[in-house]
Amino acid sequence: MKTIQLFTYIFLFALLASCSSDDDNTPPLQEIESQTITNLHAPQQGGQGEPISGAFTKFDFETGTITTSETDWDIAFRGTAIIVNGGTSLGTNDEPNRSGEAAAYIATGTMASVTEVNTGLFVQDSETGYALPSGSGNSWYIYNSDTFLITPIAGRILVFQTRDGKYAKVEILSYYKDAPENPDPFINEGRYFTFSYVYQPIEGVTTF
Amino acid sequence: MVLNKNILALYFLLFSLAFCYSQENEIVKTDSIPVNKLDELIVTATRNFRQISSLPLPAQLISKQEIERSNSLRLSDILNEQTGLITVPNFGGGEGIQMQGLDSQYILVLIDGVPLVGRSAGSLDVNRITMGNIRQIEIVKGASSGLYGNEALGGVINIITENPKYGFNGKAEYRPGSFNTQDFSTSLNYKKDKLAITGFINGYSSDGYNISDSEILNTVEPFENYTLSTKVSYALNDKTDISLSGRYFNQNQIVVATETLAGESDINEWNTHFKANHKLNDHWKSYLEMYITNYKATEYLDITEGTRDSESFYDQLFLRPEMRVLFTPNATNEFTGGIGFTRETLNRTSFSETPEFNSPYAFVQYDSNPSENLNFILGARFDSHSAYESQLSPKAALRYAFTSKFSIKGSVGYGFKAPDFRQLYFDFTNSTVGYTVLGYNAVPEALAQLEAQGQIANILVPASQFNEQLKAESSLSINIGTDYIFSNNLKFCLNVFRNNISNLIDTRIIANKTNGQNVFSYFNVNEVYTQGLELNTQWKPLTNLTIAGGYQLLYAKDKTAEEAFENGEVFARKQPASPAFQLKKEDYFGLYNRSRHMANLKLFYAMQQWKMDTNLRTTYRSKYGLFDSNSNGYLDTYDAFVKGYAIVDFAVNKTLFENYRLGLGVDNVFGFTDTQNISNIPGSIYYGKLTIIF
Repeated sequence: MKTIQLFTYIFLFALLASCSSDDDNTPPLQEIESQTITNLHAPQQGGQGEPISGAFTKFDFETGTITTSETDWDIAFRGTAIIVNGGTSLGTNDEPNRSGEAAAYIATGTMASVTEVNTGLFVQDSETGYALPSGSGNSWYIYNSDTFLITPIAGRILVFQTRDGKYAKVEILSYYKDAPENPDPFINEGRYFTFSYVYQPIEGVTTF
Repeated sequence: MVLNKNILALYFLLFSLAFCYSQENEIVKTDSIPVNKLDELIVTATRNFRQISSLPLPAQLISKQEIERSNSLRLSDILNEQTGLITVPNFGGGEGIQMQGLDSQYILVLIDGVPLVGRSAGSLDVNRITMGNIRQIEIVKGASSGLYGNEALGGVINIITENPKYGFNGKAEYRPGSFNTQDFSTSLNYKKDKLAITGFINGYSSDGYNISDSEILNTVEPFENYTLSTKVSYALNDKTDISLSGRYFNQNQIVVATETLAGESDINEWNTHFKANHKLNDHWKSYLEMYITNYKATEYLDITEGTRDSESFYDQLFLRPEMRVLFTPNATNEFTGGIGFTRETLNRTSFSETPEFNSPYAFVQYDSNPSENLNFILGARFDSHSAYESQLSPKAALRYAFTSKFSIKGSVGYGFKAPDFRQLYFDFTNSTVGYTVLGYNAVPEALAQLEAQGQIANILVPASQFNEQLKAESSLSINIGTDYIFSNNLKFCLNVFRNNISNLIDTRIIANKTNGQNVFSYFNVNEVYTQGLELNTQWKPLTNLTIAGGYQLLYAKDKTAEEAFENGEVFARKQPASPAFQLKKEDYFGLYNRSRHMANLKLFYAMQQWKMDTNLRTTYRSKYGLFDSNSNGYLDTYDAFVKGYAIVDFAVNKTLFENYRLGLGVDNVFGFTDTQNISNIPGSIYYGKLTIIF
């Protein structure tokens, strides 16, 4: 009796094991990890009714670093504005030239739930507005006029096409230096971005 | 404060005069032991006297005895101790009442059956009402527009003032307390055969208090107010009697805006109410009423050097003639019918015009007892209106008594609240921040004007969308309850309620301004419901000990918000800079300023041999949210909440020499405060009270 039982178990185990190995016949995706950038400083001059000026802080997804390159950048920050290296200038002072084919759209979800790029939604910067529109509640942040606090909206994932046609997703986490737990706009310095991102380096792959 | 001293002097003069009189008068009637609870009559539920225990509607009565024993000063004090009621501080000062999870703008407040006007952003300050001359307070929960029309969407609170007793008598009261709060009242009554006259004066003042960190502003600035009221009634013959009453209220309060900007606010309110009752025969009675009230509030701010910075005013006039007929064909059937007309005008700052509302109305009600155990009420009211759609408000209620101890009751009613003047005609631009709020009817003209001035960056909602009328907010309310009387000493009342509110009016952005601010206007947007249950119990373990307890469970939610949570469109972060995650349906907490649980426990103990009574009253409310702290637009379980709290009040009263009553007490014994979130709880209040009856 016991032998029969043993054989049954072995048989079942072999069956299960073979099943699971069958599922893995697609080549594994290259491991892509979520990266976090802290304190990306995005200063600006002017604002509050005055014309805004100052250089944008440019970011390159491929290297995962800030860059001063004229051409090799994907997105750039100034104050609350985020622009892409694609399309045309809105015409504000000190806007860099767009030389690539970057674009963006806003997805609703979390970093874990936004796993696929909808290429039909991409928009580039233009004379009438940025791909990520400015203003409270319109793209990534909300401005509270009572507390003067800028808070990234939970559930907004910024999906980018890079200058060379690859994809990345970004979640902005904080607008204040060192991403404090309870930011106070009178104490904590603003225009310091903390964000996490996932970059898909393989051309043509629309998932991450 | 000089005025205050004068009045105080006058008061003591009156007081001593009255005292002399009482010395002469040997026939002294003291307030006897309160009447049997079964005899409690309530007029608000049907507009005719009904025993509260036999009503098919959820109703509550606060007796004079409870008000006296609790040493309540203002209406807010006593309402806060009732099951399911809570006062909520309004940003302009004052406190509005919340009932079955519906806020002050949906609760009609009446004095002797006629409405109080003068609401600030929809909220009626219940601190305006003194408890000095109140016979009882009647509360009817659930939509009651079938009888009362506008504003009775969530319920009705009717404050019944005292009627004179036979002979010449009166009462004087004085209660000093913490924060230099002074309250005095005197009433003088005369009644003989056909004539009854009553006069009443109350003065209430306080230095206010500060629980905030600010060294310039107080949480409540010093104020003083006076209430004068009088009523004359006369029986023309044994079939007809008439009465005329008047009430005047004046309040003066310091206003501090900043270190260099201060002023004063004044409220002047008066009303006159004429009534004639005529009994045609045993079957027919008729009533004629005429009511006029005027609420005027003014405020100014001066820059310290003396120049005027700003002034504002609010002047509302409300007029209502009404005629009613009561037909009683036999002992088991009763018909009530009425017609009336309401006219309202409002003149105030920041208004596009001086608007006028005219609203004729008619109502009928059939109250029947087809058998000893069964009672039902059917009724409807029709309100026509000059500025919004006409409203038909039906209602039905039924009570069935299985035994003398056990009964069930249920009622369904429609309630509405018309768009108020502010929601239609406001034209206001904040001078410091720069945003604009426009009333619905004011939009086309005001928006065009702003556009012509080059102040509009882009229009989100075109003015053409404002051609249709703004709809009245309306509610369908259902109440199902049961009363169970275990014995004369123990009874339970349970009521389950649901209010479905449609066309809730809320503000929305209609245009962006070039200064980066927005233009707001009012819209019918939301659908909201409140539901829950209310449990009340009264137990008399000893003849001189009464223990009363109450509990309300409440779910107050916005249906659109609920859907957003269900569809997974709402996100939050655990910490401000941690990754966002999706919220689930059960993470939606509901509307702001609503507690899931509210409870009270009251012990009243009488020591007859000492002529003393004492009481301990506890109220509790569970956590609630005041604003969306995590910027996702909804109140969810990850927001910052105001912690739940309990307040314990204690009072002891002793009668001396028959006519004197001394009281001592502490409200909020443990000195609870939440300086960050709760502005209307200043900490412990110690007081003494002297009452002289003559």
